[in-house]
Amino acid sequence: MNVSTRWSIRTRLTAWYVSVLAVLLLVFAVIVFIFQYVTLTRQIVHDEMQDAVTVEGLLYFDGRGQLQLRQDYYSRPQSHLLVDRLMEVLDLNGTVLYRSNALDNQSLGGGLVPGEGDGSSNERIVRLRDGSRVLTISHIHGMSGQDFVIRVGYSLRPLRDRLWQFVWLLVVALLVTILLATITGQWIASKAMSPIGLMADRAEGITANNLHDRLVVANPRDELGALAAVFNHLLERLEQSFQQLQHFTADAAHELRTPLASLRTVGEVALSETRPAEQYRDAISSILEETQRLNHTIDSLLLLARAEAGNSSAATENIALAPLTMEVSNMLSVLAEEKEIELLLQDEPHSHPAVYGDRSLLRVALINVLHNAIKFSPERGIVRIAFTMGDGLISITVADAGPGLREDEFDSVFERFYRGRGNSPNHGNGLGLSIVKLIVERMGGSVRFDPAAEIGASVILQLPIASQT
Amino acid sequence: MGEQARILIIEDDRKLSAALASGLEGAGYEVKAASSAEEGFFLVHRRQPDLILLDLTLPQRNGLDILQQLREEGVDVRVLILTSHNTIEDRVAGLKTGADDYMGKPFSFPELVARIEALLRRVLPSTPRRLTIGDLELDSAARGAWRSGQKLDLTAREFDLLFYLSRNKGRTVSREMLAKDVWQETSRYTPIDNVIDVQMARLRKKVDDPFQVKLLQTIRGIGFCLQEP
Repeated sequence: MNVSTRWSIRTRLTAWYVSVLAVLLLVFAVIVFIFQYVTLTRQIVHDEMQDAVTVEGLLYFDGRGQLQLRQDYYSRPQSHLLVDRLMEVLDLNGTVLYRSNALDNQSLGGGLVPGEGDGSSNERIVRLRDGSRVLTISHIHGMSGQDFVIRVGYSLRPLRDRLWQFVWLLVVALLVTILLATITGQWIASKAMSPIGLMADRAEGITANNLHDRLVVANPRDELGALAAVFNHLLERLEQSFQQLQHFTADAAHELRTPLASLRTVGEVALSETRPAEQYRDAISSILEETQRLNHTIDSLLLLARAEAGNSSAATENIALAPLTMEVSNMLSVLAEEKEIELLLQDEPHSHPAVYGDRSLLRVALINVLHNAIKFSPERGIVRIAFTMGDGLISITVADAGPGLREDEFDSVFERFYRGRGNSPNHGNGLGLSIVKLIVERMGGSVRFDPAAEIGASVILQLPIASQT
Repeated sequence: MGEQARILIIEDDRKLSAALASGLEGAGYEVKAASSAEEGFFLVHRRQPDLILLDLTLPQRNGLDILQQLREEGVDVRVLILTSHNTIEDRVAGLKTGADDYMGKPFSFPELVARIEALLRRVLPSTPRRLTIGDLELDSAARGAWRSGQKLDLTAREFDLLFYLSRNKGRTVSREMLAKDVWQETSRYTPIDNVIDVQMARLRKKVDDPFQVKLLQTIRGIGFCLQEP
C-alpha cells in the first residue's frame, strides 16, 4: 500500500499544500539571499571606491621620501576611519610604498596583477596570510609625476556574519511558517471534510427500516452539498424500488393465497362427508387445475425476476423482429381461427431491422400482447399488426376491435396484478402486461396504448433498432 | 418386462417421496425411498437400483455432490434430477455433473413416468411407421391419418399432436409434455395452454365427433389420453 492510500484525505491535502508552500518559501528565501548578498557586496565596492578617492587626497611624501597618509585632516571625518582600513600603495614595479597598520604587515593581494587598477580587474577577493578574506579594489593614482596603485580592502568577515545571521533568520522564519501552515492547514482541511464525516454517520444509520431518512445538505451549491444531493436521490430511488418490492411481495402473497384458499376449501369440502367416487374425482381434478394456476403465477413471477435482470443476462443477441412476430402469430393463429379472427400483418419492413435483447423474453412479450388482442377481440374481428420505423426505433402496433380501454386505464393496465373492469371469464394472472412492460423497457424501449385508437385497444411497442454488426 | 426395475428416490420431502413411491409402484416398479444423502448412499450400494430420482436440495448435502461421488465411484445407474431450481443454468450444471435427465418441480406425474421409461429403455425404440388405435390408423411417412378407413383432413400441427398421442396410447399426456414435445416451447405461460386446449378441441372435432367411439379423452387436471374406451 502506498502512502497516498494510507493517509487520510485531510492529511494528504495538508501535506500537499505545506510542501508546495515550503518549496515556494525556499525559492523566495534563496532569491532574497542572493539579492541581499549582491546588494551588500556592491555597497562595499562603492564604499571602497569612495575611500580610494579620499585616500588619493591624503597621501603625501614625507621629508625622507616615505609615502605617508595624512592623519590630521580633520575637516574630513572619514579620514580617521581610513587609518583602520586595509590599504596598500604600490608603485608600478610592485614595491610596497605604504601599508596600513590594520594589515599587520601582511600583503594585501601580493604582487601587482597585470593591468591592475586600469579598469576591469580592480575588484577582487584576496586571502590574507591569516586566512581572512578581503574584498579589494585597486585604483591607479598619479602623484608628483609618479603613478601608484592604491589598494583598498574591506574584510568580508562582517558581511559573512551578517549573511549567516540572515540565513538563520530565514530558516527559523521558514520553519515557523511551515509549522503554522501545517496546523492551520489541518484545521481548515478537517473543517472542510467535516460534512463528509456527518454524511457517513448519517448514511451508516440508514437501513431498510428508515430508508426515508436523508443526508443533511449543508450548502446545496458546494461540492459536498452536491454529493449529498446525489446520495439523497439515490436513497429516494432505493426507497421507491424498495416500496415497490414490498407492495409486490404483498401482492404476490395475496395472489398465491387465493388459489391456496380454493385448494384448501375444495379438499376440505370433499372430505367433510362420504361422497360417491365421482365427486372425489371431481374435487381432485379441481385441485389439480388450481395447482396449475398457481404454477403459472409462480412461473410468471420468475419470468418477471428474469426480465428485471434484463439485458444483463447472457442470452442477448440481435433479433430480427419481423420473423419473430410471424412465429408468434403462427403459434397463436389457432386461437384466432377459433374465433374466426383475422390476423393481419401489415407494413412489414423491407429491410429487416433487428433489435437487441433476450430473444425468449421478447417472444414472451409479443405472445402476451398478441394473446391479449385475440382474447379481447370480438368474434370475426380483425387484429392488425403493423410495423413502423423512424428515429432509430421500430414500432409494432397491435390493434384489436375489442371493447378497448378507458383513458384512465392506459397506465394502470401495466401494473402488476391489475385485472381490469369486470371479471372476464378467461382472465389471466394479471401479470401479462407488466411482464411486457418490464421486458420492453429493459431492452431500452417503451410500451403504451394508443390514445388515438378509435375502436378497440391499440398497443404500441417501441424498440431501439440494433446497430448492425 | 421380465424383472421389475428398481428405483431409488432420494428426496427429503416425505410427502412427495411417499406419493412418488406409491405412484411408481402402481406403474410396476420396485421402489425404495431415502430421505438423506447417507441413507441414499447406503441404499445405492446395497440394492443397486437401476434409476435414482435425486432431489438437489437435501439436508446437509447437495444432491449434485452425491451425483458427483456416484459418478466418481463409477456406479452404473440412471439419474433423474428433481428440483425446484429450474433455470437453464441449473439444468446445464446438473447434466454436466452426470445426470441423465432433469425435471423441475412441480412436474406432472405422467411426464415423470414417461421420462423414467425412456431412461430405462437403454435402446431408443425406432419410430414406428404405422400406428393403430382401434379403428384409427396413422402413417408417419405419409403423414396421414384414417379413421374407419376414412382419411382425416388434419393440419400439420394436428397430425403431430395426434401422432404424439398415439405413440403414448393408453397413457395420459400432460400439457407440459405437449408444449415441450409437440410445440417445442421451452418456457411455459398461459397462452400456450390456451393454444393446446383449442388445438385439442379442433382435433377432437375431426377425430372423434363424426364417430360413435370416442378415442380422445380429457383427464381433468392432468391432461389428455388417446385410447380405446
